[in-house]
Amino acid sequence: MTDIETMQRPPAEVRYADELRRLRETDSDPRPPGWALSLRAARRFIVGDERHGISKKFVGDPSLIDRSLVSLATSRGLMLVGEPGTAKSLLSELLAAAVSGDSTLTIQGGAATTEDQIKYSWNYALLVADGPSTKSLVPAPLLHGMSGGKVVRFEEITRCPLEVQDCLLSPLSDRVMSVPELTGADAMVFATEGFNIIATANTRDRGVNEMSSALKRRFNFETVFPISDLATELSLVEQEASALLRRSGVTAAPSRDVLEVLVTAFRELRSGQTARGDSMDKLTSVMSTAEAVSVAHAVGLRGWFLRGESGTAEDLVSCLAGTAAKDSPEDLAKLRRYLEQQARGRKGAGWKALYDARHVLPG
Amino acid sequence: MITFIGVRHHSPACARLVRETIEELKPAYVLVEGPVEMNARIGELLLGHELPIAVFSSYKDGERHHASWAPFCDYSPEWTALTAGRAAGAQLRFIDLPAWHPAFSERRNRYADAEQRYAEVVDRLCREFSVDNVDTLWDHLFEVPDPDGLAERLAAYFDLLRGEAEAGEDDVAREAYMASWIRKVRREAGDRPIVVVTGGFHRPALVRLAALPGDDEPVVHALPADAAGGSYLVPYSFRRLDSFDGYQSGMPSPAYYQHVFEAGVDTAASRLTEAVVTRLRDRKQRLSTADLIAATTSGQALALVRGHRHRSRTDVLDGLVSALLDEALDVPLPWSARGTPAPGTHPVVVEMVAALSGDRVGRLHPETPAPPLVHHATAELERHGLDSDGARKLDLARDRDREVSRVLHRLRILGVPGFTRQSGPTTGIDPEPVEQWTIARDDLRLPALIEAGGYGATIDEAAGALLAERVTDVGGDVEKLAGVLFDAALAGIPELSGRVLDAVGRAVGATPEMGPLGRVLDVVLALWRHDRLLGTAGSTPLGVVIGASVERILWLAEGVRGGAGADLPRIGALASVRDALVHAGKALDLDRDAALGVAARLALSAEAPPDLRGAGFGFGWSLGSSDAGDPVRAIRGAFAPSTAGDWLAGLFALAREEVLQAGGVLDVLDEAVDVMGDGDFLIALPALRQAFEFFPPRERDTIAQHLLGRRGIVGHSRALLRLAAEPELVAEGAELDGRVAELLTREGLITT
Repeated sequence: MTDIETMQRPPAEVRYADELRRLRETDSDPRPPGWALSLRAARRFIVGDERHGISKKFVGDPSLIDRSLVSLATSRGLMLVGEPGTAKSLLSELLAAAVSGDSTLTIQGGAATTEDQIKYSWNYALLVADGPSTKSLVPAPLLHGMSGGKVVRFEEITRCPLEVQDCLLSPLSDRVMSVPELTGADAMVFATEGFNIIATANTRDRGVNEMSSALKRRFNFETVFPISDLATELSLVEQEASALLRRSGVTAAPSRDVLEVLVTAFRELRSGQTARGDSMDKLTSVMSTAEAVSVAHAVGLRGWFLRGESGTAEDLVSCLAGTAAKDSPEDLAKLRRYLEQQARGRKGAGWKALYDARHVLPG
Repeated sequence: MITFIGVRHHSPACARLVRETIEELKPAYVLVEGPVEMNARIGELLLGHELPIAVFSSYKDGERHHASWAPFCDYSPEWTALTAGRAAGAQLRFIDLPAWHPAFSERRNRYADAEQRYAEVVDRLCREFSVDNVDTLWDHLFEVPDPDGLAERLAAYFDLLRGEAEAGEDDVAREAYMASWIRKVRREAGDRPIVVVTGGFHRPALVRLAALPGDDEPVVHALPADAAGGSYLVPYSFRRLDSFDGYQSGMPSPAYYQHVFEAGVDTAASRLTEAVVTRLRDRKQRLSTADLIAATTSGQALALVRGHRHRSRTDVLDGLVSALLDEALDVPLPWSARGTPAPGTHPVVVEMVAALSGDRVGRLHPETPAPPLVHHATAELERHGLDSDGARKLDLARDRDREVSRVLHRLRILGVPGFTRQSGPTTGIDPEPVEQWTIARDDLRLPALIEAGGYGATIDEAAGALLAERVTDVGGDVEKLAGVLFDAALAGIPELSGRVLDAVGRAVGATPEMGPLGRVLDVVLALWRHDRLLGTAGSTPLGVVIGASVERILWLAEGVRGGAGADLPRIGALASVRDALVHAGKALDLDRDAALGVAARLALSAEAPPDLRGAGFGFGWSLGSSDAGDPVRAIRGAFAPSTAGDWLAGLFALAREEVLQAGGVLDVLDEAVDVMGDGDFLIALPALRQAFEFFPPRERDTIAQHLLGRRGIVGHSRALLRLAAEPELVAEGAELDGRVAELLTREGLITT
């Protein structure tokens, strides 16, 4: 068992153990069967409740949280879809922690994910010695969740091959999983109240492994959008970047001017539309809020460790080249065109500095 | 005794509260936030119209032009104040400033939400209650809960809102005015009860101001002497009520709130579901009973989570969305933000919003006085002898005829039937100065004019307002935009408001292709430079189009990658930009250096297609840019057989004259063609021929003469330009010759 103090990132139910406990103690509303909290308390856990010292953990429309929680309480699974970096996984973790008090029953989808990793596998030594029995059975997250009545998280489900995804069909619709190797009562595992599935999928992966329509029908789809307004995104980036910089030993706070230009540029390159409404090219790289935070972090690091200040537009341009354009020459060209033509003539010292720093872009 | 009721405009809960309060108190006076100029005509409002209707007010003086609406529907608290007040025998008064007062100069919707102007507190409340926006917050606090104690809750809400916000200058002026009316009526009423119905945001200030002593008489502002305008009733529609956005918006989804008002929140939820389902099924969307059960269950569960006794608007909508959509959305749900659905909204969601919006259209009582436009149009038609059927021929060069033409165009733009143009100029540079019209009487003429009356009091004003609306609707379609601006020129409306100019700029900024934009720029530039006939020379809107087009074309040019062949429209677009810089650069303050920068990068770019590279080079050269580079070296560098022709097409399109004048350029070209192998030449030939098409015959002649001279041949250049056979045939023959020679060589029959 890892000590909480040294864990790099404790799961949500550990990080917010105190808040969850307080919510449980004061929760007088009816709970759906098998839930650790009532719907309203679970909602407050995520959208926050300042008066009772519950922090706001997810930036976005509260109605999304309402719909997600209600989906989980019904007989359908919840599918969170959206661009990369829109905090889908964070939301799924928070939901699982609120509903089941446990967010660790997680299946990570990928090209190599097999049914064993989802349902169950065997302890082969015992299997050979004693034959199939509940003792030699090694449950995977899905089996755990069904028998224990907990929420199972399935990350990046569309990265799994279609046939692997479809093994969720009967657990979702009939709420039962058969273990054909066992006999008698053990051969069928019926889901206990409280079991459900939260899957996440990335819209960039659309078409890699399309989901079967049978499986789609068993999920309620919720789209998680990038943060809709500049001010909210800006303050989130500022807050997160400042925290990261403090942990990296940088004492200078990031410059508000640079951050504003950074966040605006990210939003424009992400949406393919300028703040004024002109259409322009989207970058193929992911321009998420998370990426913006990492660029802001990098800008701060460069400024501090190279010159002992908070980072300038020149740092921003060189970081953009590495983080935003990555290794795509096309994106680099789009970025150059953006700096040459869109950054020119905008009001504000930040934009002027960005335009003047355009020559820093490599190539 | 004064009872102040602070309301949200178009709120059914407030409308009910107002009606019940008036029925209970039986006041002597009911004072309503509304245009004071309508006081003498309140009877007109209560003739028995079918709602929604609106008081349309227009105002025009030398400086500003303004049109605004004060819409009423069945569930407007102001409307129930009038009807219940009349039923209770009270005296009715509107007490707010007239629509033409400067305090309303930014407003199109008198009954817009004040919350939108004081967003910070609202944002905090939304966070506090964890709801998406003010509409959801309002439903949560007022429409859905039990009406017990509604008045107190409203007062607390608006006190909180107002408590922290500093009222704007306009609101202060309006409140001072409303308070002076309240004090006047209080003096007259003595002990009899008074009910004051105003926007809740004003209530705290009015309570305070009305208590102040004072015996000032409220001035009923008349229109300033040099201004024109007035207020008239117009039929309104739910769709228009729902289409205000930004600072002008009020409560959304009129059809839904009509149900709430008539039948309560619970029934409205079922009717809303029914309306959405019917609409979707009409459009052949698959929607099973299981889906419907799931949607209703989710809706009810959402109501439970959010603490609603019945399903609210967003509970129903969220439930439907959860159950019906099984794919990712491209844009957020329209009810999570405010305003009209964004482009790219899921079609099912669009239908849902449309079902909530409804299609009810109001109708005026037949005895309602007609809006001034009707009288103005009739007078104009009489003045110009257009009131009888027949054909008219107009010579636009004559002032009188041009005046008539403008009247007819304005009516055509307003969609008044019976005025058809048979022929006439079709673009800004069409030399045709004669127009043919036919005029026919039509039963729909009067209704159409009344409708158009919503746009303005005179036909020019109305046509201008309608064109302004069309500009905002064109999106990225510049051809349509050009059509609108040309219509404006024909109708003699040379100037458009700043808001419309912004829309023009946005439309240009959303254009995806250079070619069409270049053509538009050509026409607009010509109109802007020369046109005296239509009077558009030097007009501001055209200047805005030119500036925005130049910027947009340059932006698009740098984004084109790869591809073969010369795309004539797009190099034409660059030529148009060059012309704009030459002829309008100074007057419109176009950024020449930035343009030259783009051209220089294009010329040197490895990824840009050859025609644009050539055009980029020609651009700099023709503008005499100091760092354009040496043409001779540029031509040598670009002379690869497969792309030379395309590159030259770009160059010739932009810098034809420079090529002819600069010494040595033709020689380099001649050399480069000379050293090509036969095969290469045949590859390059079609594109080279296309490139030289840019030279008119006389210049081609000069070139031919020059080439003959270089070879020391004395002869007539015409012979070189006229071939005995079709060029394609000659090329095919040359290719055949080449293949034969190659075969013969391979078989050892000839040696080379």
